[in-house]
Amino acid sequence: MSPVEMQILATSFAVASRALLWSLPFAIAMAFFLSRPQMPGRIILDGLTHLPVILPPVLVGLVLLIVFGRRGPVGGLLDQMFGIHLAFTTAGAALATAVMTFPLLVRSIRLAFEATDARLLEAAAVLRAGPWDRFLSIALPLAGPGILAGTVTAFAAAMGEFGAVITFAAHIPGQTQTLPLAIYAVLQEPGGEAEAVRLALISFTVAMCGLVAAEFLQRRARKRLAG
Amino acid sequence: MTLEADIALRQGNFMLDARFTAPDGITALFGPSGSGKSTLLSALAGLKAASGRITLNGASCGQIKPHRRGFGLVFQDARLFPHLTVRGNLAYASRRAPARFEIAEVAGFFDIANLLDRPVGNLSGGEKSRVALARALVAAPDFLLLDEPFAALDGARRRAFLQVLRTAHQRYRIPMLVVTHNIDDAAALASHLVALADGKVVAQGAFADVARRPDFQALLDRRDIGAVLPASALRSAKDEMVQGLWLRADHVLLAARRPEAISARNILEGRITGLRSEDDGSVLAELETQAGPLLARVTAEAARELKLASGKTAWAVIKAHAV
Repeated sequence: MSPVEMQILATSFAVASRALLWSLPFAIAMAFFLSRPQMPGRIILDGLTHLPVILPPVLVGLVLLIVFGRRGPVGGLLDQMFGIHLAFTTAGAALATAVMTFPLLVRSIRLAFEATDARLLEAAAVLRAGPWDRFLSIALPLAGPGILAGTVTAFAAAMGEFGAVITFAAHIPGQTQTLPLAIYAVLQEPGGEAEAVRLALISFTVAMCGLVAAEFLQRRARKRLAG
Repeated sequence: MTLEADIALRQGNFMLDARFTAPDGITALFGPSGSGKSTLLSALAGLKAASGRITLNGASCGQIKPHRRGFGLVFQDARLFPHLTVRGNLAYASRRAPARFEIAEVAGFFDIANLLDRPVGNLSGGEKSRVALARALVAAPDFLLLDEPFAALDGARRRAFLQVLRTAHQRYRIPMLVVTHNIDDAAALASHLVALADGKVVAQGAFADVARRPDFQALLDRRDIGAVLPASALRSAKDEMVQGLWLRADHVLLAARRPEAISARNILEGRITGLRSEDDGSVLAELETQAGPLLARVTAEAARELKLASGKTAWAVIKAHAV
């Protein structure tokens, strides 16, 4: 790999890992909430969570630009109070990626929560474990392997986020130029196909590694829990 | 520690409306399947919402969340935490308990010391039951509810578990309410009996008193009709420490004179207090013995030949395998 390619890959990793780091706690909370059948307002929240999947990514990027742009309601506030700029920065690329991968993350984590036996939570309750305690000591560890596998898959997907990122963060080499953005950029230049294929291969390899790792983690967890 | 409950809840078409008292000691909650026993336990533990009143030693606890209510619950299906070892399961309970039990000591008592570092996934049914019971005890509940904890066990393992349960009760002094639809288990364990049918308590009180009531006998299978005798009154073939033994009327022979040269180990002298003709042509004789009341089923023909009548003396012969 050339130094430029290395930089693109590094940017992609930086964006994807930040995105996951930020969205994971929310995704876990939302997934747990959605996995409880008795929670009110579940359908509405479920719909809201899945919006980024249904909306065109460009539109998501546009909404982010409007809300988090320097003149936007949230973006303006962040600028004035903390001097934080999101639009056209690595952090912004991470935010756009986080929003786009959030549904995927919630979905897989929710499956992991739903696959854990709710009766074990009852058993914990009569052993004097309160609601938070039950979540941390039973639900989370039992769903842990599923959460990890889901996170790895989401990470691989996050590396390939395009529409929302390019709209909200543009492609600035070294800051927001991730793999798919770079592929798009080199395709714009005459004779860039060869480089595009090289980048595509890197992208493909990373994605495959992620999927294989996720599958491996899940198998190991299944074996462990089956005793 | 006395448990008093007067609770109601609806589940689809099923209505549970139960009012009963469980004193210190072991109380059997007996009833046919579908009578609402498990639902009642869940409601007591706070896992199912119910209206009404639950008190422990007079203190109301029906509105308290399950984790603060002080009830322990041993589920039919053990419900061990699969991500923890046996020791991890016990430690889970111990860490949250108001009183600390020494895990090694409890494990020794329940004969699971050699399993402590095993994952729970590959334990046998009997081992799972013992670990679940040990875990519930380590949580030091004020009152322990048990939902057919021996349902998964059979024969010798079942009897062994009954033993463990009784000794555990004596050793750790935790009052218990044990759900069962098996009259032998109920008699072996409990000194007190609450009978449930169709979501309602039909009888409750001291085991022997409830056991002889017709409305209780009506809940039993025809073959199970019988009476309870304190274990101390009989020479048991199995050297077990049990509360009482359920003697089926079908397993008791009657003799009009003192039997001699007979292989049966247990012969009790008594006075006939009642004779009841059954639909199938047999006669149920109620006998008052020193050890308590007994029921014996004889054919109508035999009843005539022996000239059985109320007030007459008769000898009940119990085969060893029945005890």
